[in-house]
Amino acid sequence: MVRRAQAGDREALAALYRRFAGMVHGVVLAHARYHDVDDLAQEVFLHAMERLGSLRDPAAFGGWLAAIARTRALDHVRRTPATEPLADDVQGGIADDSEAVWILAAIRELPVAYRETLMLRLVEGMTGPEIAARTGLTPASVRVNLCRGMSQLRARLGRRTS
Amino acid sequence: MSDDYLWDRRDPHDPEVARLESVLRHLRMPEPHILVLPAQAPPRRLPFLIAALATAASVALLGGLVWTHRSGGVALPITSVAGTPRVSSVAVSESTTLGVGRWLETDAQARASIDVGGIGRVEVDPDTRIGLVGSRDGNYRLRLDRGTMHALIWAPPGRFFVDTPSSTAVDLGCAYTLTVNDDGTGLVRVTSGWVGFEWRGRESFIPAGAVCPTRRQLGPGTPRYDDTSSAFQAALDAIDFGGAPATRSSAVALVLAEARERDVVTLWHLLTRVAPADRGRVFDRLAAFVPPPAGVTRQGIAAGRREMLDEWWDALGLGTASWWRTWKQPWRTDKERGTQ
Repeated sequence: MVRRAQAGDREALAALYRRFAGMVHGVVLAHARYHDVDDLAQEVFLHAMERLGSLRDPAAFGGWLAAIARTRALDHVRRTPATEPLADDVQGGIADDSEAVWILAAIRELPVAYRETLMLRLVEGMTGPEIAARTGLTPASVRVNLCRGMSQLRARLGRRTS
Repeated sequence: MSDDYLWDRRDPHDPEVARLESVLRHLRMPEPHILVLPAQAPPRRLPFLIAALATAASVALLGGLVWTHRSGGVALPITSVAGTPRVSSVAVSESTTLGVGRWLETDAQARASIDVGGIGRVEVDPDTRIGLVGSRDGNYRLRLDRGTMHALIWAPPGRFFVDTPSSTAVDLGCAYTLTVNDDGTGLVRVTSGWVGFEWRGRESFIPAGAVCPTRRQLGPGTPRYDDTSSAFQAALDAIDFGGAPATRSSAVALVLAEARERDVVTLWHLLTRVAPADRGRVFDRLAAFVPPPAGVTRQGIAAGRREMLDEWWDALGLGTASWWRTWKQPWRTDKERGTQ
C-alpha cells in the first residue's frame, strides 16, 4: 500500500490515512493541547505526503509517521507560550468533562513512551497488537509500555483522588 | 491483576481501564469519512487533509460522497517567502490575495507561496509571472506566463489547472514542478502522483519520476522518465516536435531499442504519435512488455481507437483510465458529469 501511495495512487493514500490517522492523533495528543491536535495531525500527514517518496522501506512507514507526529507536536509545544495547558484544553472543547481533562493531564506527566502508548490504548481505542502494528514498535515493547504506564497512571490518579 | 484486558481487551475485565476508556473515548480521532470545508474559515484552520483524503477515498472507493467547497470567485492568500513579490505591482503584505485576473510577479530575489483554497499550495520561484484565471466551484485555474512553480495538490483529480503558453497542466495527483521559458516552451516534472498535459486534444499523462516538455503550437511531448538517456530523450523530442520523416523514423528505432519495461508509459503515448508506418513497431515493442488485452488489436490501435488505448493503458498497471477520462470538463461539477 505504501508503494502504491508513493506512486500516487490516491486510493492507497486514502487507505493509509484511514489506517494511521488514529495513531497520529494519539501521538500528537500525547504532547500537544487538545484543541491544536486536529490541525497538527493534518500537518503531519501533509508533511509525510510531501516526503513519502523518500521512504525506502515501506515496512517502516508506521514508525516513520509516528516520528514525524512526535517531532511536529513537540516543535509546536516548544513554539507555544507556556500557558496553563488545562485551561487551553478546556477551551478546546472538553470543558464539560473535567475528569477527562485531569486524566489527560495525568497521562501527559508520564514518560514519553508510556504516554503515547496509553493515549493510543485509552483514547484511540487500539489494542496492544494494533498499537504495535501502527507504530512499528515490537509487541513486547508495547506491552511493557502499557503495563508500566498504566501502573504509573493508577498511582497518579490514586493520589489525585485521595 | 492480569494485564490481558489492557493488552487486547481479553477477560478478565479490568474495570479501571474500562472506565478510563469510557471517559476518554470522546477525545478520539473522529471518523474521517465526510468532507466538511466551511465556507468562511481561514484556510489554515480547515481540516483540509482529512477532507482531501476522505474525498479521495469517497470518490475512488465509495462512488462519491459529497465534495463541498467554498463557492465561486475566491481570491487566494499569498505569502511572501523571500524578497519582494508583487501583485499588480504592489508588494505582497500579510493580507495580500491573488484575485481573478490579477498577476503575481517575482524578481530574481523574490519567492512566494499561494494557498490554493485549502486544496493545495503553489510555491513560486524567482523571475516568475503567474496569474489567477478562475476560481469557482472548488476548481482553480492559474496561468503561468514564465518562470517556475511547484504545486502540491491534495484535492481529487481535475480540480487544479495551470495554463501555459503551450499547454494546460491538469493536476491528476499530488506534486509537480512546472517551468515556462521566455519563448513559451515548458517542462513539467512530476514528483508525486500524475499530471495531465493537454493542448487542442493532444494529451500526455505524466507519472511520478517523469518529465514532459511542451512547445508552442505543438503542445505536450511524450512523457519520459528522468533516468532515460539523453539520446532517448532527444529522439522523443524529434518524434514530438519535428524533423524530417526519415529522422523521425530513425528516432523511433532508437526509442524502441532503448525502451525498458518501465518505459511502457512512453511507448503507450507513442502508439498515437508516430507515423502510421511506425505504429506496428511500437505496438510490438509495447506488447513485448505488456501484452494487449483480449480485443485490443493492432488494427484498432493503428486506427487510434480510444477504447482500445484505454484498455491497454489499464493493463499497464499504472492505474485505471477512468480517472483521466473525466478531467476534460474542468468547470463542470461531478453531478453534471454524471459521476455522482
